[in-house]
Amino acid sequence: MGAAGAPGGTRSFWTRGRLSIETPTAVRAVVISALVLFVLLALPPLLSSYWIKVLTSVAIFAVVALGLNLLFGRVGLVSLGQIALLAFGAWAAARLFFLTDLPFPIVLLLSGVLTAVIGVVLGLPALRLSGLYLALITLMFAGLVAIVVPTTNFPNGGSGVLGHTESSSGGLAVRRPQFAGGDAAYFRYTVIVAAIMFLLALAHVASKPGRAWAAIRQSEPAALAAGINITFYKLYAFALASFMTGVAGGLYAGYAEKLYSYQFSGARTIDSVTLLATVLMGGIFSLWGAVIAAVLQQMLPALLQNWFGFFNTNPDFLLVIFGVGLLQVLVTAPEGLVVSVPRDLGFLFRLASRAASRAAGRGNEA
Amino acid sequence: MFPSYQDFYPYIVTGLALGGVYALSGVGMVVLYRATGVLNLAFGAIGAMGALISWTLINHTSFPDWASYLLCVVFGGLVTFAYGVIFGPPLARRDPLVKATGTLGLTLVLLGLMSYFWPPFGRTMLLPTSTPEYSYHIGFANVDVTWTQIIGLSFGIFVTVAVGAFLRYTKLGTAMRAMANDREITATLGVPVRRVEAVAWLGSGLLAGAAGLLLSDLVGLDPVGLTFLIVSSLAAALIARLRSLTVTLVAGIFVGLATALLTPITGFPSETNYQFSLSSYRGAAPFVIAIITLLFLARRRVVTISRTEG
Repeated sequence: MGAAGAPGGTRSFWTRGRLSIETPTAVRAVVISALVLFVLLALPPLLSSYWIKVLTSVAIFAVVALGLNLLFGRVGLVSLGQIALLAFGAWAAARLFFLTDLPFPIVLLLSGVLTAVIGVVLGLPALRLSGLYLALITLMFAGLVAIVVPTTNFPNGGSGVLGHTESSSGGLAVRRPQFAGGDAAYFRYTVIVAAIMFLLALAHVASKPGRAWAAIRQSEPAALAAGINITFYKLYAFALASFMTGVAGGLYAGYAEKLYSYQFSGARTIDSVTLLATVLMGGIFSLWGAVIAAVLQQMLPALLQNWFGFFNTNPDFLLVIFGVGLLQVLVTAPEGLVVSVPRDLGFLFRLASRAASRAAGRGNEA
Repeated sequence: MFPSYQDFYPYIVTGLALGGVYALSGVGMVVLYRATGVLNLAFGAIGAMGALISWTLINHTSFPDWASYLLCVVFGGLVTFAYGVIFGPPLARRDPLVKATGTLGLTLVLLGLMSYFWPPFGRTMLLPTSTPEYSYHIGFANVDVTWTQIIGLSFGIFVTVAVGAFLRYTKLGTAMRAMANDREITATLGVPVRRVEAVAWLGSGLLAGAAGLLLSDLVGLDPVGLTFLIVSSLAAALIARLRSLTVTLVAGIFVGLATALLTPITGFPSETNYQFSLSSYRGAAPFVIAIITLLFLARRRVVTISRTEG
């Protein structure tokens, strides 16, 4: 089926957007690695510790957004429970840090694997639930976690299964890798892990799983007829996205150092919805959309608070912007900012240059 | 400790009242879903904002109380109607997931506005029907029942019956049922599809406002809490497979009772000092019920094909 060939004139959400399979051309690879090197080497000395913290959370949430980006954009599955999975990853990582002396990367891997197991268990119903019902069941899961987390609390170095202690002598900080104890070093560490996650995603999208996902997204019966193991590839997508979210959870535990349940409480269930909104706004058909989504969700609030006192006192007003943005994306621009901004800028530029050349032409005649 | 059966009596009353309101919102959601294919996830947020507006009018202006309550209901109707008229048609031919996601956008907008205009602060909404002079004492159970609770349950039942009759016996209701089957064919038969949809949006919005007003008294006037109470009515609507109004009513009352009856179960004695209290998890009951329902609905399905998929 061609990109525009939807039957009966029905416009599908996915067939409207331009699907870019990121092909790693040499130029692109050079530009991207230069960008990553710039972020790693040049950026930390230029920024204050506040902005380094903000950018660290951007890098962490880029990985979370990447998971949802893959699920929604590549496979057509919507999960509204990604922040709940992030909470689980952070919880697992914090517990592992207090229980064991394992090195940091191993803990990241383990929390990723544990979260992937949860994701697969959650993904099992996805085999049978279509779009809307899957979104609902994951939203329910997010709500459930938001109720359970404040009642059980995050581990802070206490004893027992939950590892939580109310005593003031408790509350150990989650340890960071030895060579990345400071904020700038931890920022570099986070960016490298995030880059690895993006490479992992790219490797999947550009190879066999990516093609299988694309087939499933277009039409499940057709994919089945083509001999694609739908069950396996759907679960695989869930496992991969949850693994990434779990790794991000581990990074988050190290970033926050001390985890509190209010970070993932009922009032923050809406974060999963905000994540979906920003991922859609960023663009789900390109992996870069995940970076834009993280910038929108984590850096925009800080920027607005710096620029406008208004947002300092009303940080939640940003929800209005995200809500409007979500509706705008759904109605007019399904491909998201990552495509529409360059396109619209290009259009503006052509318009301007045409106007300029016309003005110049008139000037010549006169 | 596990309580004795007498401890449950007051919670049966609150459960029935809540259940009635859940059924009320559930019916509002089912009707809208059947007529337009939109599952309105902003239902709770709309009611919450309506309740906040009427709270402000009562506490900070000399506006008559009855008009403030009425305004809450009207606000629900207007916002839902406006959303439906603006975003309904462009999204009409997209799949149900996109339509529901759109209402999440509305939820975000409303939540943002609410936290801007009404910063977190303990507000209570006390409807005049909740005052002591409007409550009855049931002797054998030693329970006080307020008129608000009676209204909650009876209004839920009334709305279910009334909407059922409306869909069954009126011309507009027949048109809505036809659209639930097939929007395109209904349009071909000369039914003004958009106008019928607009009526459905308005009606379900009025129900959202009424439910928000009742819940702000029965549960508490907390914007985020009220927004996520949608899950309870959603669970009821899902048990009814987003079709049957009667099942929605029964399921709504079931969800209300299940949540309320967990409240007195405060803890089980165990071998360690750790006390497991089921009461602190009672808010999870609607979520668990909804998850089980969804899993049950999905059994025996292999390939997911939705009719409207493009």
